[in-house]
Amino acid sequence: MDTEEKKIFEMLKGVVDPELMVNIIDMGLVYGVTYDSLSKQIDVALTLTSPGCPMGGIIIEDAQQTVGSNYPDFEVNINLVWEPVWSVEKLTEKGKAELGYS
Amino acid sequence: MNQIASQNAPSPKVVVPHFVFGALIWLGVTLLIVFNPDVFTQHYFNAELLAITHLLVLGWITMVIFGALYQLLPVIMEVKLYSETLAKIAFVLLGIGTLLLAFTFWQFTFDTLMFIAGVLIVTSVGLFVVNVLFTAHSSNKKVIERAFIISSVIWLLFTVLAGLTLAINLSYPFLKVSHVELLKLHAHAGLVGWFVQLIIGVSSKLLPMFMVAHHVNTKKLNFTFYAINIGLPIGIVSLFLEFKIGVVFSVALVVPGIVSYLSFLVEAYKKRVKKQLDIGMKQSVLSFAILVIPLFLAFTLLSNFNFLETITIPLSVAYGSAIVIGFITSLVMGQTYKTLPFIVWLKVYRGKVGKVVLPLPKDLYSEKVAIAQVWLFVIGFGLLLIGISATSKTLVMISGILLLLSVALYNFNILKIVLHKPTNK
Repeated sequence: MDTEEKKIFEMLKGVVDPELMVNIIDMGLVYGVTYDSLSKQIDVALTLTSPGCPMGGIIIEDAQQTVGSNYPDFEVNINLVWEPVWSVEKLTEKGKAELGYS
Repeated sequence: MNQIASQNAPSPKVVVPHFVFGALIWLGVTLLIVFNPDVFTQHYFNAELLAITHLLVLGWITMVIFGALYQLLPVIMEVKLYSETLAKIAFVLLGIGTLLLAFTFWQFTFDTLMFIAGVLIVTSVGLFVVNVLFTAHSSNKKVIERAFIISSVIWLLFTVLAGLTLAINLSYPFLKVSHVELLKLHAHAGLVGWFVQLIIGVSSKLLPMFMVAHHVNTKKLNFTFYAINIGLPIGIVSLFLEFKIGVVFSVALVVPGIVSYLSFLVEAYKKRVKKQLDIGMKQSVLSFAILVIPLFLAFTLLSNFNFLETITIPLSVAYGSAIVIGFITSLVMGQTYKTLPFIVWLKVYRGKVGKVVLPLPKDLYSEKVAIAQVWLFVIGFGLLLIGISATSKTLVMISGILLLLSVALYNFNILKIVLHKPTNK
């Protein structure tokens, strides 16, 4: 992961799942970030805890806005992915602590 | 981008009026309890109790379920609602029909007005059933939750048709069975066939989702589905034929089915990732604890213990109240905090991320008010059951005052959510 991709990961910690009140990085919802300075394109692979998650639209909109406002000259794509299916193992230690999960 | 549930959500204008109407009716019912406590200390086949019961089950619970289901069907079935227009017409017909029906019950006049009320309600339910079935038909999610929802709406249609038949039979008797037995049949079709099955179908999807519980054994729900849908028709036919062993057999099938569902919920609860439960989930958990009371009373009433003979009628009223005012009402109040704030939040903030201060959905209501509402409800409901069992008008009236305060706070939070406005950055 290059420096810009790391920066984008950090930025996405500002996007919070409104139901669980934990950011999407610590929830393990972001599967990958690719930053292409030549084509000026950023792709974020994002999943949800459940396909029926009613908060999905807002989480995507928030992620798009967060990255897009920091890279106004770039095309930002938030790609929703369902493979691999999200599971508890994807939570970071901080995410587990915030949910009270041990 | 893949299709996600929030893109299928209907307009809040379809959903929100159901919650507001339902909450106001529930408030009105608590006033009726305060000023008419004696109706809970008589035989359950009395004019005022029939009026109150129908206001509760149709105007409050069914109304909120209709609204919530329009929002939740797209979440469960991952398709858009078939028709928002049908939903709006069903809302108006159910609202007018229920108020008319309650008025005619209160007057105890079984005339044309009651027939009109019945037809309005049956038409409303018919439109609702069409909407649900067409929505389900367009979905390729063949999950057990879908089966429960389809089965429950068919039971609802049966219930209201049976109700209309009962109303006609009161004016022009053509059925040989006693009204009290027919009332039991009508009530159980509604309580178990409609409410309990609908609750199972929706909650088995939503509660694990809210608690973030994965890999819960859904085979338990298959058993529940067959137990209810075999046991309940046996019970209905047995009640109609006044065949008591059939009723006992029916209860012996349905109750283990419900217990199997409760075991599914316990498993989901144990496997949950989100350990802290918010106030909406706490009241929901409480309602499932309350469910133990009517299950216990059902067995007690069927056992025909000699020493209970003198209090069979109060216990029957307590049994009905424990299901309607206890279990279902408590669950609907709790789940309101899990659905309505999200519906309004999505409406207000979709497309405005970055432009306005973004609160959390739970910030749309006062948690302190919700906590006070739950405590008042718990004490009020407990006193109501004691008051009914002891045939004490004073206790029922006090319970009514506590419930009135609880529901006033609930209405305060509903209005706070519905009238929420965004704050610019």
